[in-house]
Amino acid sequence: MGENRAYAIELVEVAKRYGETAVLSGVDLAIEPGEFVALLGPSGCGKSTLLKLIAGLEEMSGGEIYIGGRLANYLHPSARNVAMVFQNYALYPHMTVRANLGFPLRTSGIARAELRAKVEAAASLLQLTEQLDRYPDELSGGQRQRVALGRAIVREPLAFLMDEPLSNLDALLRVEMRSELVRLHKRVGRTTIYVTHDQVEAMTMANRIVVMHRGVIQQVGTPSEVYSLPANIFVATFVGSPPMNLLSGRLETAGGERVFRGALDLALGRLAPASLPDGPVTVGIRPEHVQLVDPATGIGRRVQVELVERVGPDSYLLAQFGDGRPLTIRVDAASPIREGDGIAIRLPQEHLRLFDAAGNRVTKEIS
Amino acid sequence: MAGATSAEARLSGADHARQRRRKRRRAEFLRHLLLAVITFILVAPFYYVFLASLKNSTAIFSYPPSLLPLPLYLGNYEALLWNTGFLRWMFNTLFVAASVTFIKVFMDSMAGYALAKIEMTGKKVIFLAMLILLMVPIGALIVPLWSLVSALGLTDTYLALILPPLANPLGAILMRQFILGLPRDLDNAARLDGLNDFAIYWRIVLPLIKPGLVVLAVIIFTDQFMSFIWPLIATTSDDLQLLTVGVAALRAHGGANYGLWSASAVMSLIPISIFFFVLQRQFLARSLAGALKQ
Repeated sequence: MGENRAYAIELVEVAKRYGETAVLSGVDLAIEPGEFVALLGPSGCGKSTLLKLIAGLEEMSGGEIYIGGRLANYLHPSARNVAMVFQNYALYPHMTVRANLGFPLRTSGIARAELRAKVEAAASLLQLTEQLDRYPDELSGGQRQRVALGRAIVREPLAFLMDEPLSNLDALLRVEMRSELVRLHKRVGRTTIYVTHDQVEAMTMANRIVVMHRGVIQQVGTPSEVYSLPANIFVATFVGSPPMNLLSGRLETAGGERVFRGALDLALGRLAPASLPDGPVTVGIRPEHVQLVDPATGIGRRVQVELVERVGPDSYLLAQFGDGRPLTIRVDAASPIREGDGIAIRLPQEHLRLFDAAGNRVTKEIS
Repeated sequence: MAGATSAEARLSGADHARQRRRKRRRAEFLRHLLLAVITFILVAPFYYVFLASLKNSTAIFSYPPSLLPLPLYLGNYEALLWNTGFLRWMFNTLFVAASVTFIKVFMDSMAGYALAKIEMTGKKVIFLAMLILLMVPIGALIVPLWSLVSALGLTDTYLALILPPLANPLGAILMRQFILGLPRDLDNAARLDGLNDFAIYWRIVLPLIKPGLVVLAVIIFTDQFMSFIWPLIATTSDDLQLLTVGVAALRAHGGANYGLWSASAVMSLIPISIFFFVLQRQFLARSLAGALKQ
């Protein structure tokens, strides 16, 4: 199936079950050579399991995995030509940094001089030359992380598999390592699959994001696609902080017009295709797309500001409609609006997203 | 006036400090006194035996007893080394204990690795059976063990002393617990680096559980060094007697020679003391710190 494609990694109908519990079902994914793909999802969504299946560390319950065009289902992990960076580094504590970096090469039996050269090249790439003769417990968190990366790099694999490699670093170091990883990916140019539950990491680092939930891929797309055109309500709420505003209501047809009736009434125009029957729907809009209007004009809907959250350059107004339904609005930090103020808002049609009763997005962006 | 008050305050402050110091010193003295009493209770019998080993029979029972072995009498040691089979017993004991320790540490750590890390059918049942076996007292095993060993034609051989203790499941259970503490991702990393199960055990797991191996070695060696009932039953010839059996025989046949008995007790302690002293440093082996993010 995947032999003739130019994909670095291809997953076909991959499934994993533990007894009766399905952890992954029907996962199809094709990754181009050199791509940086983030598997994003909440804890327990199966993203780490998927990574382990690709690495061969877990046995699949169904499906096929192709690595470099070759069926890898029955290959030993070391024969799959992938290197993994683990969440907890998994450095060998009884070996120096030099031995740790060289270990994967030593087991493959390459010449000593070549091994030395490769280890030193990796150390210099990751600024670890000074630490080569130290043990892991003598290194800082960031340095250990770099050793773990180095151990993957020296193997020159077809793909890097990274399992939440930054999750235990402190916030400042995480941001630093994030950009370091992106630079490294650009320099080394290898296919990378990066597992994370942190949407900021996924959005800033990846070429493509695979959003997962309950063992099923919800959406595959570029960071901006996933953010602007979420495939369903789960993606809309999981990606973006604060999440997309969701207003539930009913789709109705009045005088040939499709209208949304809920906390406020909205003319949906081309948002609602004729094929979509009247009934319960959800309308979504990102906080930055909610527009404030002058209450004196009479257009717009009045909401009450309950709380103002200041986050540096912006502020988020946590407001409520008359019936108590919440709405988050992003405004400039210099905005004079205070808690308790009544304001008027409008939801521009071009930024609305419509979700059907099952929670799937039914429209395309209006051009 | 104000100056006087602050001077008084200073004075009373100094008094308080002095009182606190005194209280602390008193508490410390009591603590040390208690420790000294406990130490005395523990060390006195050893010292008494050591003293008796360096006295002749008359001096041992002289009253009041002297606290120093003067005049120094080495006759007990000479008699022990040259007139009894002590050196042979010592060799046998060290040979058997070292063989059992070496083989068992190797076997138990391998079994522990399999029980901890390798998925296999019936693993839980095997582990449960081992736990149950642990609860069977040695007395209940002696007769079947004897029948087995004698059916195999091994009675009165070194193998009769070395093979049965290898079946004790305690070591494998202990090793399993140690190895369970190692993070799963270390094996995963090693697997990706191209190692098979035995190589993971040998190159990754063994170096990391060194402190556990030392604990196990100490337990096994001490246990073997002091075992009595099975060696007594399994061997009959003098050449195969172990220290415990030999020393007991001294008491049974040699008359009430307290000096000789004491010398045998002191000499028996030497190898096990050296063993502890050497291995104690290994307890400080490089720990797991640094392998993982905390």
